[in-house]
Amino acid sequence: MKKLVLGLAAAVALALPAQAQSKYPERPITMIVPFAAGGPTDIIARIVSENMSKTLGQQIVVENVAGAGGTTGITRAVTAAPDGYTIAMGHLGTFSAAPATYPGLKYDPINGMQTIGLAGGTPILIVAKKAFAPKDLKEFVTYVKANSDKVNEAHAGVGSVSWTTCTLLKGQLGVPKLNSVAYRGTGPALNDLVSGQVDFMCDQIVSVAEQIKAGTIKAYAVASAERSPALPDVPTTKEAGLPEYQIEAWNGIAAPKGLPKEAVDKLVDALDKALNDETVKKRLLDLGTVLPTKEERTPAGFAALIKRDADKLSPVLSAAPKQ
Amino acid sequence: MSLNKIEAAQGWRVRSTQDLAAGLFMIALAGLALFLSRDLSTGTLRQIGPGMLPKAFAVICAGLGALLAFNSLRYNGEKLSGWSWRGVIFVLGAAVVFGLTIRGFEIGPLKVPQLGMLVSGPLVVIISGLAATDVKIKELLIFAAAMTIGCALLFKYALGLPIPLAPWLLGI
Amino acid sequence: MSEMLAHLSLGFGVALTLKNVALCFVGCLVGTLIGVLPGVGPVATIAMLLPITFGLDPVGALIMLAGIYYGAQYGGSTTAILVNIPGEATAVVTTLDGHQMAKQGRAGVALGTAAIGSFVAGCAATLIIAALGAPLTRLALLFGPAEYFSLMVMGLCFAVVLARGSILKAFCMIMLGLLLSTVGTDLETGQERMTFGFPPLSDGIDFAVLAMGVFGFAEVLRNLENPEARDVVKSKIGRLLPDWNDLKQSAAPCLRGTLIGGTLGILPGNGAVLGPFASYTLEKKIAKDPSRFGKGAIEGVAGPESANNAGAQTAFIPLLTLGIPPNAVMALMVGAMTIHGIIPGPQVMTKNPDLFWGMIASMWIGNLMLLIINLPLVGVWVKLLQVPYRLMFPAILIFCSIGIYSVNNQPVDVAFTALFGLFGYLLIKLGFEPAPMLLGFVLGKLMEEKLRQALIISRGSFMTFIERPISAGLLLVAVAILVIALLPSMSKKRDEVFTE
Repeated sequence: MKKLVLGLAAAVALALPAQAQSKYPERPITMIVPFAAGGPTDIIARIVSENMSKTLGQQIVVENVAGAGGTTGITRAVTAAPDGYTIAMGHLGTFSAAPATYPGLKYDPINGMQTIGLAGGTPILIVAKKAFAPKDLKEFVTYVKANSDKVNEAHAGVGSVSWTTCTLLKGQLGVPKLNSVAYRGTGPALNDLVSGQVDFMCDQIVSVAEQIKAGTIKAYAVASAERSPALPDVPTTKEAGLPEYQIEAWNGIAAPKGLPKEAVDKLVDALDKALNDETVKKRLLDLGTVLPTKEERTPAGFAALIKRDADKLSPVLSAAPKQ
Repeated sequence: MSLNKIEAAQGWRVRSTQDLAAGLFMIALAGLALFLSRDLSTGTLRQIGPGMLPKAFAVICAGLGALLAFNSLRYNGEKLSGWSWRGVIFVLGAAVVFGLTIRGFEIGPLKVPQLGMLVSGPLVVIISGLAATDVKIKELLIFAAAMTIGCALLFKYALGLPIPLAPWLLGI
Repeated sequence: MSEMLAHLSLGFGVALTLKNVALCFVGCLVGTLIGVLPGVGPVATIAMLLPITFGLDPVGALIMLAGIYYGAQYGGSTTAILVNIPGEATAVVTTLDGHQMAKQGRAGVALGTAAIGSFVAGCAATLIIAALGAPLTRLALLFGPAEYFSLMVMGLCFAVVLARGSILKAFCMIMLGLLLSTVGTDLETGQERMTFGFPPLSDGIDFAVLAMGVFGFAEVLRNLENPEARDVVKSKIGRLLPDWNDLKQSAAPCLRGTLIGGTLGILPGNGAVLGPFASYTLEKKIAKDPSRFGKGAIEGVAGPESANNAGAQTAFIPLLTLGIPPNAVMALMVGAMTIHGIIPGPQVMTKNPDLFWGMIASMWIGNLMLLIINLPLVGVWVKLLQVPYRLMFPAILIFCSIGIYSVNNQPVDVAFTALFGLFGYLLIKLGFEPAPMLLGFVLGKLMEEKLRQALIISRGSFMTFIERPISAGLLLVAVAILVIALLPSMSKKRDEVFTE
């Protein structure tokens, strides 16, 4: 027993100074994805982290900690020890919308965490069932305003990207009380849109693009500044007559506040290298992702994006009728 | 309601303590659910609120519980049997200890460091093993060590699950 | 017909390459392994193995992941039979008669029946998908919220038949399951319901946590109390494999189960979960002597197991033809396909025929592999039952603890499971059966969601459930089941019903 204690003490003694002067990273890094595996955020996290692992020389292990619209996982990640071994891949919802959606939120995305950088932007589309009367976005706006008691909107649950972006749309159209049908995730919502049980929804391009291409649903517009190469025929909201509806779902990496500068720099560098890698680029573009600009790949640029979208969403989300 | 032959009700007395307890248990749970969902709005049929179904289910639970308790006065049935605390304390305690130590935990002043599976694993085997009346300590200790190593290899390495082994010692 | 043969030959051409057969084998083996481990479900494992498949071509990757999926489905029934722990909702029914068979020394027969039943169901399901996959898609689109709600109501009526003892107590358990299913954040308003303000509860109670608690942990507590009962399992070891009589007895249930499970599996709203329950209900209702059920009736294993496997496979139809995942595992398959650059949608069949038909062909190969892997393993599993119980239950405990932890990587879940173990032990003491509760729990979430959706769309009119023909038909069946189950209790022979 005594030997064991001595041995342990020696091991700890050896480990401590080694840690103090060592080069980050010297063991695997955990990347918390606050959603179930297989979703859009998880896919982007896995594609990006695989390449980042190569640059860092240590494996980045993706850990799915789902719950409460992603806030459970982010809470755990940004309240972890700021040693660079726990980082998180969050999105529009968890970083910009969450403070307004979840009043008891235990983290502050603006001041309470260290941003690393944006990993990718995902355009948002306004889509409708095939048989929905309006032919284009202008008609859609008029129709929805005139028939607000008849139209059914579908979304993937409070806190989801589809709910957040649709609430913004309804707020801007002045019909916040439109009939809205909640589903558990995009899949079931999309199913009922395809079969015509509900009229329209807003969601990320990766979820709806194939259905649009197959003609099972129709798209009115993409809420980005430019058309998406994945769906070149779909006009932007600006072209189609609703310029104020500009919103993108994005995914980005954050870490606990107080991370050593060395770790921040290495992570930023690894993310940048990953986003410059041809395979990663191709994979992300196949998903309809918009690659981040140089500015958005920096901690400051990403933080500015979070702040910008939070300012845009907070008033609408706080005012949204929670029924 | 019982497994036995039904007797015609002749006077009120408890004929099945098990069914009576079961009925009261249902009523108590329903009461708890109603208390917890008291602030949730029921909404309307057109727009069902978050409280409608929980409250409806709770009321039905209470009704069924009342029927069960009532029947226990009319029909013969099973008696309540004894409760074994030894199993409850050691077996369930072991699982709780695992949950507390695997990643560490903080409840108020109580702070448990993150010990990882190499500590939590043997703890769960040894503590739960004490629940058996025919426990052999030496055998259990060896078994605990073997199971932990086996589980580490299986879950951490073969399946690659992100489970901490011993962060305080190995850093993973 | 010739078109189907052409498609299948294309599929087998893809699936029968040495590499793909090897990947299918590895997938099935890993799947069986994780299925057997209580707690670690296919979702966690597929998520973990995703990065490994990065280096493979899409077809190979998906063949391997699909192998893990149905391997895990099958492995789950092994645990249900041997130690009475259902890892998945679909294995709950298997515990009823499967574990009883094991207690009677017929564990080998139960495992063998499950393996053979699953294989037959798998073969049939492969043919169904190949022949009818595309047309059946239309059936899936006929189901809106109203139809799903009626389907769930029908499913709940099955639970009445599941009951082994008092029907009143079964009703109690169904309602309790429904009540538990409403815990967590409200989908429409985001309000927390009955969570005690405790964050880990905000997403509701996890199925694995509840099932592992009320079945696994509570069973351990019950066994510790009766040392005699637990030793029965190891004292008798009967035949290892089913004999001719067993096979004859299970043939018809197996085919009926395949049909039921296969049909329900096509529904994109996770209808597959109802398959085993429906099959069990049917077998018990048409049996000459329903009292054998719950006491080790082989039909109660053969039917539901076939339904389970058939449903697991036809669940690929909505994914492959509509691009809509019916459950969490299928959602993960969407992720896997997406990572490999194939975004699931209605066009997968025409744009990637080699992937589509290759996967279908690999399903049949996978089923054959499962049989090859599992029949020899039956002997190993049965031997495991001979481990003294004083070592067996600590082993169950460590596996369960790690398994539950890895579902969401949340340590609190393990403590919750212990709490539900206590709850389950209390239920046993009060003479309640946990199986109907789990059915209520599984269906409850979906039922509430669908009810609210249907009523929002119909603007609050209940007529929507009767005006829509499919929904009305399902409700009629539900009423019929209830009447058949309850009618005898109106007559004088009341005691017989309650002792059924």
